[in-house]
Amino acid sequence: MPVLDGVDLELLPGEIHALLGENGAGKSTLMNVLLGSLRPDAGGLELHGQPLDLARWSPRRAAEAGVGMVHQQSALVPALSVAENLAFGAAERGFWFSPAREAERVRALARRFALEVPLAERVADLSVGERQRAEILRALGRGARVLVLDEPTAVLTPGEIEALGVSLASLRADGCSIVFISHKLAEVEAIADRVTVLRRGRVVARLGAGEADARELGRLMLGSEVPPLERGPGAASQQRLFELRGLSAPGLSESGRLRGLELALCAGEILGIAGIDGNGQRELEEVLAGVRRPSAGEIRVCGERVAPSPRALRRAGVAHLSGDRESAGLVAGMSAAENFVLKGSYDDRRFFRRGFFDERAARAAAAEAAERFALRPADPDLDVSLLSGGNAQKLAVARELASAPRVLIAVHPTRGLDVGSARFVHEQLLALRAAGAGVIVISSELDEVMALADRLLALVRGELVPVPAAADRALLGAILLGRAAA
Amino acid sequence: MTRALRPIFAIALALGFAALLLLLLGFAPGPALLALFAGSVGSGPAWTATLLKTAPLLLTGLAVSIGFRCGAWNIGAEGQLAIGALCATAVATRALPHLPAPLLLPLVLLAGALGGVLLGGVAGALRARRGVSEVISTILLNFIALELVSLAVHGPLQELSGAYPKSDPLPAAALLPRIGRLHLGVPAAAAAAALVWVFLFRTALGFRLRAVGLSARAARFAGISPEGHGWLALALGGGLAGIAGACEVAGVTGQLYEGISPGTGFTAIAVALLARLNPLAVIPSALFFGALEAGAGAMQRSVGVPSVATQIVQGAVIVLSAAFAGARVPGAARSRSR
Amino acid sequence: MELFLEAALRLAAPLLLAALGELVCERAGVIHIGVEGTMLCGAFAGYAVAVASGSPLAGALAGALAGGAVGFGFACFSVLRGVDQIVAGTAVNLIALGGTGLAVRSLYQGLPPRAPVLEVLPLPGLAELPLLGAFFRQSLFAYLSLLLALAIALFLARTRPGLRLRAVGESARAAAVEGLQVRRIRVAAVCTGASLAGVAGASLSLGLADGFSEGMTAGRGFIALAIVILGRWSAAGVTAAALFFGATSALQFRLQARGVGVPYPVFLMLPYLLTLGVLALGGRGARAPADLGRN
Repeated sequence: MPVLDGVDLELLPGEIHALLGENGAGKSTLMNVLLGSLRPDAGGLELHGQPLDLARWSPRRAAEAGVGMVHQQSALVPALSVAENLAFGAAERGFWFSPAREAERVRALARRFALEVPLAERVADLSVGERQRAEILRALGRGARVLVLDEPTAVLTPGEIEALGVSLASLRADGCSIVFISHKLAEVEAIADRVTVLRRGRVVARLGAGEADARELGRLMLGSEVPPLERGPGAASQQRLFELRGLSAPGLSESGRLRGLELALCAGEILGIAGIDGNGQRELEEVLAGVRRPSAGEIRVCGERVAPSPRALRRAGVAHLSGDRESAGLVAGMSAAENFVLKGSYDDRRFFRRGFFDERAARAAAAEAAERFALRPADPDLDVSLLSGGNAQKLAVARELASAPRVLIAVHPTRGLDVGSARFVHEQLLALRAAGAGVIVISSELDEVMALADRLLALVRGELVPVPAAADRALLGAILLGRAAA
Repeated sequence: MTRALRPIFAIALALGFAALLLLLLGFAPGPALLALFAGSVGSGPAWTATLLKTAPLLLTGLAVSIGFRCGAWNIGAEGQLAIGALCATAVATRALPHLPAPLLLPLVLLAGALGGVLLGGVAGALRARRGVSEVISTILLNFIALELVSLAVHGPLQELSGAYPKSDPLPAAALLPRIGRLHLGVPAAAAAAALVWVFLFRTALGFRLRAVGLSARAARFAGISPEGHGWLALALGGGLAGIAGACEVAGVTGQLYEGISPGTGFTAIAVALLARLNPLAVIPSALFFGALEAGAGAMQRSVGVPSVATQIVQGAVIVLSAAFAGARVPGAARSRSR
Repeated sequence: MELFLEAALRLAAPLLLAALGELVCERAGVIHIGVEGTMLCGAFAGYAVAVASGSPLAGALAGALAGGAVGFGFACFSVLRGVDQIVAGTAVNLIALGGTGLAVRSLYQGLPPRAPVLEVLPLPGLAELPLLGAFFRQSLFAYLSLLLALAIALFLARTRPGLRLRAVGESARAAAVEGLQVRRIRVAAVCTGASLAGVAGASLSLGLADGFSEGMTAGRGFIALAIVILGRWSAAGVTAAALFFGATSALQFRLQARGVGVPYPVFLMLPYLLTLGVLALGGRGARAPADLGRN
């Protein structure tokens, strides 16, 4: 099946053009062709009316021709300063390098397009929004006239998205063409001049601003209306399944440090914790998984204090669905069966008895789970690194559910999943809730968190802030930015 | 190219490379290769020599494999073997020389194992507690262990006549039973390979070791400590290498001296990598390198090609078998634990 | 005391040269544990050429070239073909050991001849300074090592190629996105680093000793690896660490000469024990280049 099939895209100077499509539709592939990282099997590229020799097109040439990209995953070097990051590109000239001179060069640009960034600081110490601005600055500094932004708003708060919109508007006024790749319909609606919708590698619609609203765009993107998630009644009770009391933990950065968290999860409810990268999400996940040692406070399950270690938490009935399934949830290189029983190597008598590992039992259990969860392929001996994102997540979900947990901590449960797989995961979480277990969903996808949760908390600079029941996206965004109290 | 043929291809290329080098340096590769062949598998005594060289390579190859499978690079099998030989000799000639055979021999082997466990354990502790790279620490410990042997045979363990830097001959009760020159260690080493396979693939501990080697981070989230298991892998590997050392003194040389079984620990790395870290495949792999070493001696004697030439083959096999493997070395992932 | 400082720097020079070479490699993201074997090749090549030509300088150059060649071979397998760097480095050590052993026996039947040594070159004026004068009564190898330390520090911090090398070592992905030829840069770094190791080896056979013997590097390459870690991957730190090791070597010889009643093998053990000890104490907190070891 072709990833791209006869796609035509036209960009005008001085426009913001959105490229819309769900995960796997072909957006990134198309852009990689534009940027010279990928050579197409057929078709051509024209820049300023001149056809390009695709055989010689490369990222270096693209950069020289004024095409710049800002990636979804930051392409800056964390250990170097912003000024150094702006200076090492292949297109830069000059043997000697002086940080001060580099900074001067860029300052004018930064002011003009409202892209303020501390130039002398290490990228690793910057916020996500600042990193993004630095990347845009880098592309501009090299004279980019065509800017490609890949899912730029995925990690920004609504306030930062506004600021980005302002910068983009001034770039547009300057005559730049901006391609805005996204699957976030609200932002596309707000920012774009024109929209091209991709579905399964084909262009299914070309629209101007205002020609379609978010719902229509969604229908075009997915091919049909996706029914909204049916939450259904929970089995909410007063019983406190899971509590954090006064929990503090060191952070990877100052804003990630957890300070005196208080939290109570009742049976039959889904508690959503919304948080933006860099505010302690990662640290909180690691504490709840038992991998990060808290400096103060305690974790309680059904009123009993539990030691902060993965095994103790698991014995107490707490399961953890990792936000990073490739490197923290599953072991790449081991089979589906081995991954299925991974967490039970100390306690699970079904597969590990008297020091021995019963591989046959593991394979049988994994095969059975694969059937039940419609894993494709359903082979328990298959190396999990060969599974697609959706199937790998299904395996991880199956594993956590197999331990019949009282509490499930699900972090970014649908990251990188197509709509079908994402819907499946959400349904599993709701089923747990209906069965009387408790679920904590930690995510930076505000839509997801708002759709699933019975109650919402916001994680802001390492503190948990309650969110009023009737809060909308704008209010939640403001809370996350620290701009509004509950 | 099918998976099974790749190691053979690597061996062939490595031999070709060595032959080229020999040619460049003025030696005749043809007669050299023939002598190599004759000296390793060309006769009964040749086979004996091969098997005697294979046993320590098997054990140290397993030692290295266990470490690599857990993400811990055990480059210290050389020193662990030497320490094992040292401890075995100490127990046999100084500590308990008068015990009868059924008691002494197992104790001697145990002493060898414990010595190796200690050395491997030090590297493991430095890695687990202080974050010291085990690549460097095991290499440094090699040098230290070799000097310790030197110290011993010039001093406390030196033979009573004091004439040469070697230990007294081991008492008969401490020697491995044998048929002709083939000692019990040879089949025992093969059995060890099977045991290590069972350990890695059919025990809970082995399962955890493999998980750590493939993804330390995911293992941590599963409640498995990467540091602790890396430590264990280095200690266990050390123990196996230590037993190899004990078998060398108790089965082949009958006494301790400097330079006992030189280079075995490094060849072990080639053995492990050629076998793609699979314990059962370590058997044929060790046989190949054992043949190489046995043949090297014959090669030097009959054609005058220095036996160090085989180290070229070892190095070439290591790098070529890795180059043609496609995927990275299984279990020896450079995974980060954060 | 002055003699002690002289000895310290003289003994530190090979370590410093090799460590600086390894520093360049590692800042570009490549760990080259084959430094030991590379030094050995450099020692042999330097020796052979110096004996044949009568010029120790030619030998030094040969050492550099030999090192660079070995580095290139290593880079072909590790950087270009994706073989794990530790595996490829181990292979280098084995092949070098076997190759040089073979070569020395094939080229020199009987006792190998003595090599012309690079003499000490006192710098007029500066050599007479009290205490510091010791730094100016050294051979070219030592001067070279100190100059290179300065040059490399400058290169890494203040030049664009140096910046690119650092970027590649910290994040190959980001560097590639910016259009940098990651593999080319890494190969260049490895070859440079390895040729420095080759010169370091030549300084052994044409300076510290006056000939080649099998395995004469005796673990110095591995100590150089440790020096890079202890020096926190900075040229200044590496220089300090190398001088420290040189000083302890000098101390070791002093004590040996005084006949302190300690058996010889204990003296031989000391550098390795010391390295282990210092690593154990100072190893934590060192920040390696983020992409070190990944191909």
